[in-house]
Amino acid sequence: MPTVLGELAGIEARSERYMDLHVLAKIVVPLSISLSLPFAKEPLQALLLVAVSAIACAAAGIHLSALKKFLAVIVSMSAFIVLAFSLFTYIPGRVLYEATLWKVQAEKGVFEWKIAVTDTGLLYSAAFILRIFAMILSATLLLASVTDRDLVWGLFSLKMPFGVCVAASLFFRGIHLFVSDFYTVREAMSARGVDFERTPLVKRFTLYANALIPLLSLMITRSYEVSMALESRGIAPGSRSASGYHLYRMRRSDYAAVAAGIALTLAFAAWGWLA
Amino acid sequence: MHIVTFAFATAISYVLAVVSYLIFPVLGAPGVSALYVASAIYVPLGIWMGLWGCLAGYMSCFFLGLYPSGYSPVQSFIWSWADFIEAFVPLLIYRALKADLDFTVKRPRAAKLLPFFVSSGSILLLLGIVIQVLWGVAYGEPFTTIYVVLVYLGAALAVVGIILGLLAGNARTWLAQILSIIATGVCSGLWGAGTLTIFNFPPPLPAELFWPVFVGWVLSDYIVLSVISTALLIALTPVFKRTGLLVKGWWA
Repeated sequence: MPTVLGELAGIEARSERYMDLHVLAKIVVPLSISLSLPFAKEPLQALLLVAVSAIACAAAGIHLSALKKFLAVIVSMSAFIVLAFSLFTYIPGRVLYEATLWKVQAEKGVFEWKIAVTDTGLLYSAAFILRIFAMILSATLLLASVTDRDLVWGLFSLKMPFGVCVAASLFFRGIHLFVSDFYTVREAMSARGVDFERTPLVKRFTLYANALIPLLSLMITRSYEVSMALESRGIAPGSRSASGYHLYRMRRSDYAAVAAGIALTLAFAAWGWLA
Repeated sequence: MHIVTFAFATAISYVLAVVSYLIFPVLGAPGVSALYVASAIYVPLGIWMGLWGCLAGYMSCFFLGLYPSGYSPVQSFIWSWADFIEAFVPLLIYRALKADLDFTVKRPRAAKLLPFFVSSGSILLLLGIVIQVLWGVAYGEPFTTIYVVLVYLGAALAVVGIILGLLAGNARTWLAQILSIIATGVCSGLWGAGTLTIFNFPPPLPAELFWPVFVGWVLSDYIVLSVISTALLIALTPVFKRTGLLVKGWWA
């Protein structure tokens, strides 16, 4: 069964032991990393959290080359952060580089827009950038280890009503259905003479925006069919399953993973509070 | 049927959100798009299907936050309320004004010109206010003059847009639609840009980037909501009425 990120980007957790964990454990581990993020204010704390996240990913069998998929996010955010601390604000510290970009004699003084790179500004930037790495690794760990079956069975084991379980399952199926519908509508448009390759960008945008109308109509038709099928099987949104085909219990390893996650958050909270 | 439609709508919004972000990104602010087409789906859905549409916006944004934006689950959980607000504000305006969903167009030319006037007027107003807040208050002239010119020009264009809206068809419905476009962008932009830069666990971006992200967010919303969302409301409201999907209360 492919994981959520496996279906979207081909990134999957390969460790069988990690994949055998209960869905609750697989959610708690990345969640505890993300809960530790607010306490990692110094570059050293953020660096340690990056190391913990990387170790967790490695334990789950996720190759760190998966970060390539987030390269654009990492580069653009890092650049934006450095710009924010040098172009949009002045962080007091030892000035490493300074240049005036624009100077205007205004009514109440001189308005100056400067680039000012200081050592403190760079330290702030480093902490922010490291937190981005930890944040991306925790999101990758969550999505690369949770399958849609995990979610649906997990919801069942929590005695959630059918309405919630069916909605979770339909969301994942809906992504594929929408993409396939989109290609159908696109082919229909091409068959009527639309040449997407030669159409200018603005015109293409209008065409795609117009395509939303048949796509939404198809969604309504499909919703009607699926809801009729569910009703004919006697599945009401509020009904719950008394029994299931699959036993989904927490084991010792699951409790250990959950405890490790909670301990991590508590440790970072204590470190952040003491620092 | 509402639950099934909600699940499918969430999936569609998620795919469109990812595509919008990848094609028109606001650089440095993952998940923020300069043309966020997904909002054209869940905002009308909020008007048609009440809180189901708001929930579709929230869930699609939550998953967008996780992948491809790479926010942590907690950051994404908080940030995604921006899209809930984005669908909830129009819903609230329509319910408060007791506007009937009658998008019959009596004057097509007025309906066609309306998005241009409303979005460009609101954008100029917003830019004027941002310039005044950032520099006008502290430095005075020439920023104050720029602010005054932009605000007057923006207000004039927005008023023309409102008049065109009143002429386009059912006056109360179109007034609700125009107010929705204007209020939605600002409300969701405040939460969205705020949770990315000022308040979150922790904010992924520095507080200094609030204004660039906020302006990018609101501009995108004005364009998409006035052009695509209005077109979808005109085209698909009769379909929703026919299929019994239209929600009169909040959930049913």
